[in-house]
Amino acid sequence: MADSLLSYISLAMILFSIGLLGVISRKNIFIVYMSIELMLNAVNLIFISLGRYYESMEPQVISILIIAVAAAEAAVFLSLIVVLYRRKRSLDSDIFNILSQKSAS
Amino acid sequence: MIDIIFLILSLIAIAGGFGMIIFAQPIYSALSLIVCIIALGGIFALLSAPFLFMVQIIIYAGAIITLLLFIIMFLNIKDDNLPEEPNKISTIVIGGVLLIPFNYLILKSFAAMEDKPMHILSNGFGSIKIFGTELFENWLVPFEMISLLLLAALVGAVVYARKENKSEEK
Amino acid sequence: MSSFLLSWIVLVPLLSAIILGLLYLYSIKIKKLSNKVFAIFGLTSPFISFAIAGLFFIQMLQDGKTIHYEAYKWLGVGSYNVSMGFMADNLSIFMILFVTFVGGLIHVYASGYMKDDEGYGKFFFYFNFFLASMLLLVLADSPIIMFIGWEGVGLCSYLLISYYYKDSENVLAGNKAFIANRVGDFGFIVAMITMFYYAGANGFDYVSLQNSIGNVPIEIVTYIGIALFIGAVGKSAQIPLYVWLPDAMAGPTPVSALIHAATMVTAGVYMVARFHFVYELIPNVGLVIAYIGAFSALFAATIATKQTDIKKILAYSTMSQLGYMFIAVGLGSYSVGIFHVFTHAFFKALLFMGAGAVIVALHHEQNIFKMGGMKKHTPVVFFTMLIATLSIAGIPPFSGFFSKDEILLSAFASGEYLLWGIGVLTAIMTAYYMFRLFFVVFFGKNSSEDRHIVELPKSILIPLVILAVGSILTGFLGVPELLGGTNLASQWLSEWKNTSLHIDHTTESVLMLINVLAALVGIFIAYKKFYKYDMTKVPKFSGMIWNKFYIDEIYDVLFVRSIKRLSSFIAMEIDIKIIDSLLMGLSSKFISIGHLVARVQNANTRFYAFVMLCGISLISIYLIIELR
Repeated sequence: MADSLLSYISLAMILFSIGLLGVISRKNIFIVYMSIELMLNAVNLIFISLGRYYESMEPQVISILIIAVAAAEAAVFLSLIVVLYRRKRSLDSDIFNILSQKSAS
Repeated sequence: MIDIIFLILSLIAIAGGFGMIIFAQPIYSALSLIVCIIALGGIFALLSAPFLFMVQIIIYAGAIITLLLFIIMFLNIKDDNLPEEPNKISTIVIGGVLLIPFNYLILKSFAAMEDKPMHILSNGFGSIKIFGTELFENWLVPFEMISLLLLAALVGAVVYARKENKSEEK
Repeated sequence: MSSFLLSWIVLVPLLSAIILGLLYLYSIKIKKLSNKVFAIFGLTSPFISFAIAGLFFIQMLQDGKTIHYEAYKWLGVGSYNVSMGFMADNLSIFMILFVTFVGGLIHVYASGYMKDDEGYGKFFFYFNFFLASMLLLVLADSPIIMFIGWEGVGLCSYLLISYYYKDSENVLAGNKAFIANRVGDFGFIVAMITMFYYAGANGFDYVSLQNSIGNVPIEIVTYIGIALFIGAVGKSAQIPLYVWLPDAMAGPTPVSALIHAATMVTAGVYMVARFHFVYELIPNVGLVIAYIGAFSALFAATIATKQTDIKKILAYSTMSQLGYMFIAVGLGSYSVGIFHVFTHAFFKALLFMGAGAVIVALHHEQNIFKMGGMKKHTPVVFFTMLIATLSIAGIPPFSGFFSKDEILLSAFASGEYLLWGIGVLTAIMTAYYMFRLFFVVFFGKNSSEDRHIVELPKSILIPLVILAVGSILTGFLGVPELLGGTNLASQWLSEWKNTSLHIDHTTESVLMLINVLAALVGIFIAYKKFYKYDMTKVPKFSGMIWNKFYIDEIYDVLFVRSIKRLSSFIAMEIDIKIIDSLLMGLSSKFISIGHLVARVQNANTRFYAFVMLCGISLISIYLIIELR
């Protein structure tokens, strides 16, 4: 089982689906963020398993870049959450809708 | 043996992911995510990527998610501040059904590739030396750009997280 | 002499017009300039053009070659070029000479006539611009360039007719002229397009057209000829588009003299002569032209016998004389027609200027029955007007006699006796109404003798005298062989001469005698009725002729009102009820759909993600089915 590419890909797809479901189903903005992280990890997994499959180092380098981007994202995202929470006293992602037509008019 | 390790690790990762989206409290979600990410690190190790296994545990689980945990604790969120999510489960089910064709498509295309042994390579594949050579020879420019991106994120985070009333005074 | 000077005949008045326009703007916006500044530019440019044209004339007398000059390439489509080309052949140089000469004299006259006017500079700007357009029209070497000048004179005519724009009637008259001209212009455009389509393959200048028109089917040529003639009818005020000409008298008198007597209205005649190669192929259309001309002549003369406004009488007489010209060109005697244009320019300009002088002397009184007894007040005007009147009436040896005689002669020689009869009848009436005007104005007894007569300035009188001399002398350029002369004008225009007409000398002399007799009869009737006419016994005018056969009213009912009704129907019914409701309905549907779609944009990020998921799912299903 651990010798087949498909099982790794299946795991990655399951994790990716879970992340996507988390984004669409949860209102809690922390969990939305964590779901995105999970999706990034799933993509990393696909990269690395393909890298092993082709015996190439490049996917691993790409993975490390993704992790670096995720770190940058974490910094900005978390500071944003802090600011928003201070303003609205809520973690509900649905209340951040000032771009909608209703709130604009 | 490796099969069993893979199976266990995958189950832990999937369980962690599910736990993350199921728990109402963000703190539990974050802990589930850490579990999931560590399990994923183990799977990276299975795929002959020891350096990434290290990075995953030290940077991802140890720094990023811990930072997240720290922020969650720092905000001191009470239960009243948590949003109400009445149709969480139903959305997950509907989304899951909608995702089936996508998953099917991806897996079908990967299943078409011929099978190849995926066991750990022993010739230093994935070691820090080879990894570093690759990174600094062929990926130097993206690497430098990443450093710039991190700098920008640093500045952005500082700007966002300043004290509110200061910017209001302006 | 280098041929580039040809373009300067047009450019000099144009540049002067531009300078005058700028100076006028300067004058009204910044600092008032004296009239002399405008007069210097306005008056020199026609004479410079005249001098250049004279030089070319002398050159052409010597070598007899047509001069072509291409200023620049105006339009280039692929390998097809239309160039800004000028052409001076015998016809156009002849036109240029008298247009610049008579035009120049009218400029001089206008400098005296308009001296108290506010818009002195503006007037000369229009005048010079008009002259430039007219010269471009005449000198053009292709129909397109001619059309530029054609439109230019139409524009200037509009501007000058409504020159006293503070009176709304003048503006209406200007509009009328513009619209009637536009109908004609449309004919010209149609003719031009058709000609381009069928005969324009080898270039679009007159020379190439003349060569290639022979290959065009005769029905198309007929069509072109008729369409061109519609253009000529509009410009030259023939039936049925003449209505603007009498109203055009609303402009200042020099305008009437320059545009509506000497130059612009003859553009139609010139055009028919210029396109003689078209009309030579279709003699039947030429005959139609001749008949329309004849009826216009008779019709206008009839109306003129009952008019009281001195300028309107002259306007109708212009139309009548233009009718004569169309008889000639319609019958193919282009040289004769152009010769009449030439003599007419002199005596009609003189008549208008004399009338203008009388009008000025009597403080802008235009009703002839309120004038009377002007002989002793304005002797110079009296003598010059006498010459002009005799000339238009056709008394030898004044110029009108020779040209009119030739026209009637060619009508008779072509075997069109009806045309000839109408011509003679019109000649009687012409003599009658002209001498009616003359007797009433200069000999009529006016009881109110205490009128103050304005002293006429020299700038008004000198052109009168020069033109009077011209009216006498120009006729001798076309003395028929019968009287032992050589017909210089028709020799010069030999390319446009109708050589098919032959008539023996006995008939010719009889016809000439009939013409003189006709004129004398007309004069006699006028003498009987109006010599020493007592102004107190002026009858009330009524009847069909006084009301100009109700043509204006008929047009009003036929065209203006029905078009108004149609347009109000379109505006009120079709536009509002159908088009608006359709478009507004459509747009309101779009707006409501837009609102509906906008509801999707609810700024809920999770919802967007969900929609994205649905999209991914659908695409996946599609791909699964596709890639199966």
